[in-house]
Amino acid sequence: MRLKARTLEGLYALFLLLPLLFTLGVFFLYAFLRAVYFSFTDYDLFSPPRFVGLANYLRLFQDPLFLKALWHTLAYSLVVTSLQTFLALLLALALNQPLKGITAFRTVYYLPSVISTAAASLLLLWLFQRTGLVNQALSLLLAHLPHLLALALLFALLQGAQVLWEKRKGTPTSFLDPALALLSLPLALLGTYALDLLGLVQVREARVEVPWLPTSATFLGIPYPLWAIILMNTYTTIPTFMVLFLAGLKGIPKTLYEAAALDGASPWVMFSRITVPLLRPVLFLVITLGLIGTLQLFDQVLFVGGSGGAPLEATITLAYYVYGNVFPSGAAPRVGLASAAALFLAGLTLLVVLLQRRFGVSERGWT
Amino acid sequence: MSPKEAARRRWARVAWAYGLLLAFGVFFVGPFLMGFLASLKTNPLEWPFTLGFPQVRPKNWAAAWQLGQKGSGDPWLGGMRPGREVVLEVAYFWPEPTPPDLQAAIPRRKPGAGMGAVFEGPYAADYVGLLGPELVETRPFRLGEAEGYLHRFRLRIAYEKEGPYLERVPLDLEAPRGALLLEATLDPVRMERRGRVASWDNVVPGLLGYAFHNYVRAFQESRSLETGQSLFLRWTLNSFLIAFIKVLTTLVFASMAGYALARLRFPGRQALFLFLLFSMMVPGQVTFISNYLVLKDGIFGLSRLFGVETLLNTYAGLILSGLVGAGAVFIMKQFFESIPREVEEAALIDGATPLQTLFRIVLPMATPALGALAILTFQGTWNEFFWPFIVLTSPREIYTLPLGLLSFRNAYGQVGDWGLILAGGFLSMIPILILFAVFQRYFVEGVNVGAVKE
Repeated sequence: MRLKARTLEGLYALFLLLPLLFTLGVFFLYAFLRAVYFSFTDYDLFSPPRFVGLANYLRLFQDPLFLKALWHTLAYSLVVTSLQTFLALLLALALNQPLKGITAFRTVYYLPSVISTAAASLLLLWLFQRTGLVNQALSLLLAHLPHLLALALLFALLQGAQVLWEKRKGTPTSFLDPALALLSLPLALLGTYALDLLGLVQVREARVEVPWLPTSATFLGIPYPLWAIILMNTYTTIPTFMVLFLAGLKGIPKTLYEAAALDGASPWVMFSRITVPLLRPVLFLVITLGLIGTLQLFDQVLFVGGSGGAPLEATITLAYYVYGNVFPSGAAPRVGLASAAALFLAGLTLLVVLLQRRFGVSERGWT
Repeated sequence: MSPKEAARRRWARVAWAYGLLLAFGVFFVGPFLMGFLASLKTNPLEWPFTLGFPQVRPKNWAAAWQLGQKGSGDPWLGGMRPGREVVLEVAYFWPEPTPPDLQAAIPRRKPGAGMGAVFEGPYAADYVGLLGPELVETRPFRLGEAEGYLHRFRLRIAYEKEGPYLERVPLDLEAPRGALLLEATLDPVRMERRGRVASWDNVVPGLLGYAFHNYVRAFQESRSLETGQSLFLRWTLNSFLIAFIKVLTTLVFASMAGYALARLRFPGRQALFLFLLFSMMVPGQVTFISNYLVLKDGIFGLSRLFGVETLLNTYAGLILSGLVGAGAVFIMKQFFESIPREVEEAALIDGATPLQTLFRIVLPMATPALGALAILTFQGTWNEFFWPFIVLTSPREIYTLPLGLLSFRNAYGQVGDWGLILAGGFLSMIPILILFAVFQRYFVEGVNVGAVKE
């Protein structure tokens, strides 16, 4: 009788799981196994696959385009992950204050990460045109460099003078004292304005016309168009991770900070001794998710490339390499090679996950 | 530290914090705002970037409304119908008291670039008559340092003959060197040949047609070659349809699977869950080759039983291959585990089957989780690119919106028609932005629930 109840429960489970088993079985397990099989064969979608052993994997590493794609993927992944983790943490720290209206700000900041990669890519394309907003902003910055320098100098002088004055009065102040800066900043602005009126600082002629996209030129070994994608994607993913960090920060007991404050700990000590260690699970989660997400860069390559855009060699990634070998223009599909590259990509992803399991704090971070 | 000093410091700190928050806000919203403004311009890549362009002036909105009303009776989208007449006034600065010699013409201009250029619309020049320019006023005028005269002209555009409805009536107005356009009923969208030719793409635009001309063009110019139907509209509807079905299947099947994984005991439960996690890590590029072939054969030839050769280029294929995502099951499993067991035990003791327990008792409790899942699934499907890009290749009518945007980018990127590309991008964002505005809590919290993304 008991056994029968068990069987019945199993049957119910089977019924409830059927759609999932179908999807997982046909579109994941079967597909995964076939990809493994294809990776050991020579297959062009038309004639039957021919077993070639490890030849595809060896061929991959002789293909300059694959090596390029590998380098781009790794570089992109590392740069974007470190940038977005760092900036998202900074932002979360700034937002984790008991301020009125903080929720509204949080909502506004989240905006860039709800839009599609397609729409974001179109915006990227427009921003990074030769006469686009990025070049215009750079030109504006360069043209007003004298003003900015004057402003910084004046601010430093005024702030320094105030701090010295306070110190002589006997109050302990640091150089970045916000109360004093609130006076120094408007004064420095006024001073710069006066200098401009007197003609001592002048707007310079500057017109930056960097061709960001239709170029293969590199900076630090990464092509310009890829830099453009890096900037744009960092911009759109920061908010997502900021929210994760915020949730993590909320979980840190306030009492710890209060105790530390009683012991006279500085903000930096509190950050490095309390915040960072207690945020470790979230930190690892963010880094892992960042790496996994960035390893699969594909859409932007397609959007940024093409007519009037970036040359393929400057933006190709592993994901695109796989696609490009299955559906090459004007050539027979190289499914074996593509599968080998895809499995290589999967291997990279799993490596990241294993490393996080090994070094990160696993379970808590996943929920 | 005196209390006064402490209060001062507190204020300063708050001021800094808000300043910082505002700066971040500008950073996160600025590019979108600038992009949106640029999408209204005739030339979104103009240098220097200005914020005071004709399309944002209320004076032009009013004029566009009236001209559209007079031209066709439609103040929103304008156009011109037989028997109607519109009047346009322009004022030029000219150093002499004798009026400058103005040349007005209705050019035979192709209505657009890229996809729009293929279609042969009726030319306004064949149907519409232009009367004028006729001088109505001359008076002394000072323009900065220069002394001279203001000459006001009136242009009548009349559609007297019988004929078709005209979507647009372009106008070019050429003035001699030294004459400066001071004002016009409706500001021209372009100044050509060193500012000597003022050019209107449409003198009867209607409010939307003027302020959002790129958006209107996105709908009008991307048309199917066979049927003449608006492709952009089709793509939007397709995206809605697919997202809607996907949300439905995901909600039902993910709750079912999530409940089984969370509550029912069966052999291999742990293994299945680990396998589910594993499937979330593997990039789509690994499985798409086989999935493509499976859909091509109609899922092992099964679809032939229903008289369908292949599932490529069909929504059935797209939906079948993504009935339920691993991430959605994961979210639902987590949620069901958070519900106290006692709730269901009562039902089980009363003899309810697991199915009854799930659909009668647990699911009604799960509305918040289902809501969050629905929104996340909608967003994911609406924005998805890679898999639809593989499955849906032809004809263009079956594309989803992101695929449509790619074909936009390819059709108009070459000719540099950035207004249309940006307009397409912003149009595609609207549903998500509305959803976000209403349910932003779910978006923000959803990240925490489904920390492992699909």
